[in-house]
Amino acid sequence: MTAPLVVLERLSYQYPRSETLALRDISLEIQRGEFVGLIGPTGAGKTTLCLALNGIVPQFYGGRFFGRALVAGLDTVEQPVHALAARVGMVFEDPETQLTATSVENEIAFALENLRTPRAIIRQRIARVLAVVGLTGLERRHPHELSGGQKQRLAIAAALAVEPAVLVLDEATSQLDPAGAAEVFSVLRALNREQGMTVVMASHAAEELAEFADRLFLLAEGVLVEEGTPDTIYSQVALLEAHQLRPPQVAKTFSLLPEPPVRLPVRLEEGLAALPKQLVGLEPPAVISQRPHAAPMISVEGLHHRFADGTPALTGIDLAFYPGEYALIVGQNGTGKTSLVKHLLRLLEPTQGRVLVLGRDTREWTVGTLARHIGYVAQNPDQQIFNATVMQEIAFALRQLHFPPEEVASRTAEALTVLGLEAVADQHPFSLPKGDRARVIIAAMLVLQPQVIILDEPTTGQDYAGARAILDLSRVLHEQGKTIIVITHQLYLMPGYAERVIVMGKGQVLLDAPLRQAYHALGVLRDTQLSPPQAVLLGQHLCPAVQLLTPEEVAHCLATSQASGGDPC
Amino acid sequence: MLSWQTVPRQSLFTRLDFRSKLVLMLGVTGVAFLWESPWWGGALTLGTLVACLAAGVTLRYLWGIFRLLLPFFIFMLLMQGFFAGPLIIARTRQTALTPLLQLPEHWFLLGGATLSAEGLTYGLNIIFKTLTMVLVTPLTIFTTDVNAMLVSLVQLRIPYKVAFVFSSALRFFPLLAAELHGILEAQRLRGLDLERLALPRRISLYARVAVPLILGALVKSQQLEIALQAKAFTGDPLRTYLHEARLRAADYALIGGVVLFLLFAFIAYFAWGMGRFSV
Repeated sequence: MTAPLVVLERLSYQYPRSETLALRDISLEIQRGEFVGLIGPTGAGKTTLCLALNGIVPQFYGGRFFGRALVAGLDTVEQPVHALAARVGMVFEDPETQLTATSVENEIAFALENLRTPRAIIRQRIARVLAVVGLTGLERRHPHELSGGQKQRLAIAAALAVEPAVLVLDEATSQLDPAGAAEVFSVLRALNREQGMTVVMASHAAEELAEFADRLFLLAEGVLVEEGTPDTIYSQVALLEAHQLRPPQVAKTFSLLPEPPVRLPVRLEEGLAALPKQLVGLEPPAVISQRPHAAPMISVEGLHHRFADGTPALTGIDLAFYPGEYALIVGQNGTGKTSLVKHLLRLLEPTQGRVLVLGRDTREWTVGTLARHIGYVAQNPDQQIFNATVMQEIAFALRQLHFPPEEVASRTAEALTVLGLEAVADQHPFSLPKGDRARVIIAAMLVLQPQVIILDEPTTGQDYAGARAILDLSRVLHEQGKTIIVITHQLYLMPGYAERVIVMGKGQVLLDAPLRQAYHALGVLRDTQLSPPQAVLLGQHLCPAVQLLTPEEVAHCLATSQASGGDPC
Repeated sequence: MLSWQTVPRQSLFTRLDFRSKLVLMLGVTGVAFLWESPWWGGALTLGTLVACLAAGVTLRYLWGIFRLLLPFFIFMLLMQGFFAGPLIIARTRQTALTPLLQLPEHWFLLGGATLSAEGLTYGLNIIFKTLTMVLVTPLTIFTTDVNAMLVSLVQLRIPYKVAFVFSSALRFFPLLAAELHGILEAQRLRGLDLERLALPRRISLYARVAVPLILGALVKSQQLEIALQAKAFTGDPLRTYLHEARLRAADYALIGGVVLFLLFAFIAYFAWGMGRFSV
């Protein structure tokens, strides 16, 4: 047996000015040609471990480093980072900040140029790696002109160009839409299976890791908690949930059966194979109209929008949002979701058609006045923070709008309580974790008591626990009578929250239906390259007429049918 | 976002090497400094403006720059109009200026000052000088790919690290502009009608933009630095380059033309007074 490619021996690491260890006593080995997944909640140490593999931890950050890390025989503390860069290809989470050149070919050439590679070889490598990631022909394109998936494939190509021994990806698909993530996983699978590339990938994408990884390392609070194949790790549903992780829905479904199988299926095909033959005789659920009888709060009538360069963003949108609704807008990046909600706030003006808020054309409102009725939380909460403490941030709008001091105090205190931010009221918002920063912005918006709240990709970049915390909060607000509009492409998160789904594609509304019906409109979802949750696919196989949505529903149906000897659930 | 860095279409200017465009920039700036005549200066500004438009720099961008500088231009025009008199008399040996307006004697500090036609003309000369120098910058920078700029600078024997910092700043600028736009939008989304607020309050709100902008820039620059480290970046002067910058016939023609123009302008200025301030 050949020597392992990566060897970590009792590795511990502490960031400067930190009181706790980011990694604690980690020992592991990775063999050549393996596809290894790093899983764990936010703060588990996944990113630190990735950065330790190419020496950026500790060489760039400083701090205290204990133990030893060897990659391709090189000690990552003794070797300079640029020498390690020739062995370890890195792909980071944010496609924007890691692409530094102004053309695809220059992006790929950059590391090779730094390593003094002759021009002729650089040209050969560019052609080769572009073919590997399927971007041939785009050599002269500006990276900003590429889609999210293409950008990450370009980052992979740039990492591959130096012919590294191992490719390390840190949450490389977390900011991508499903189509982009699928592109990246497909490239990684080809690299790993056909070319034997060693891949280390930190990710929250449970279904994909179950599919592609050979082994998983479960980290929590810097400790290596468990290691094993996806079958052994993902079938330990209780262990995963104890660490705030989401198992693949297939595993979750079978774990909920009264008598779960000895070995839980963790991949969709295994789950489908383990299901009984399709149950018949089931009655479809009555589709209850979700439309309240009240007048719409927001009406969109024949809305068209073209960007300044003439690109059509929205084409003939007709929609209405009613008081007290919880609506979900889904679709790939670039399908017009954010453009649509920006029209509701007059951040964009219709090229044709109109938007009415509370019966008045938005052209008659200012953005500021509209914002008092419609609260909008953008994808990046950091751009919405401009005060020195959480309390000042929340009270900001009230003070600027000259509310009486007593009302400022009472509304701020109420928002702090509702959002659970009392303990951090005097802290700087930027000192809080990302999930809490999003809560600060929601609180800052809530003090204006808007009737409508729009959350734009609120769960992107969050771990499962963080995503659920934000969505639970949206449910509380909905129960208080607010109209909630959420934009997301993480469909598996939304059952139990949203009631209505608007599927968008190419600037148009492809489907507007109750959530259960929309999630089972597989043709429409496929057309816009959205992936239905595994539970929906299991439900389709088991009893399509019933339109099951969640692992709990599928497990209940399955358990009932087993108990009644195969009768309908 | 891209329009901050590059013009959207190919033209003669995009095909020229950055070094020849640098020569053009220096030459035009030198002549703009030399000429004091608003008529000659205006012609140079007009020529630079036409070149900008021909190169694909948008009117919208140029109008934006002009609007930004407009308060400075008005201030300069009035300052020169009222106070450039002694300077003009010394230069032109004129004994009297043409008065257009006199401020009342009892006005504090400014009382009795006279606005002269010659002063306004001299103010126009300074405005054209400034405009020419402002316009020639996008003509040079926006028509050059940042990587091509970097390679050209290195071939000019500028240390790679310095050239890289310069080109990185240009790349970073659009990111910061987008960040700034996002923060201002966020303020409006807190129910504030910025456009309806009095100027002092608007300024105090704009000042708050600095904190998230600087923090955002720090976070982004750290991410960028990590990405660069992971790509073996050391600032190595012996690194290789995918592309090389080559001076072609058009570049030599431009450099030659600029040198001849510069020589002519200097000779004509000193020998025949062409471009001198006169009334």
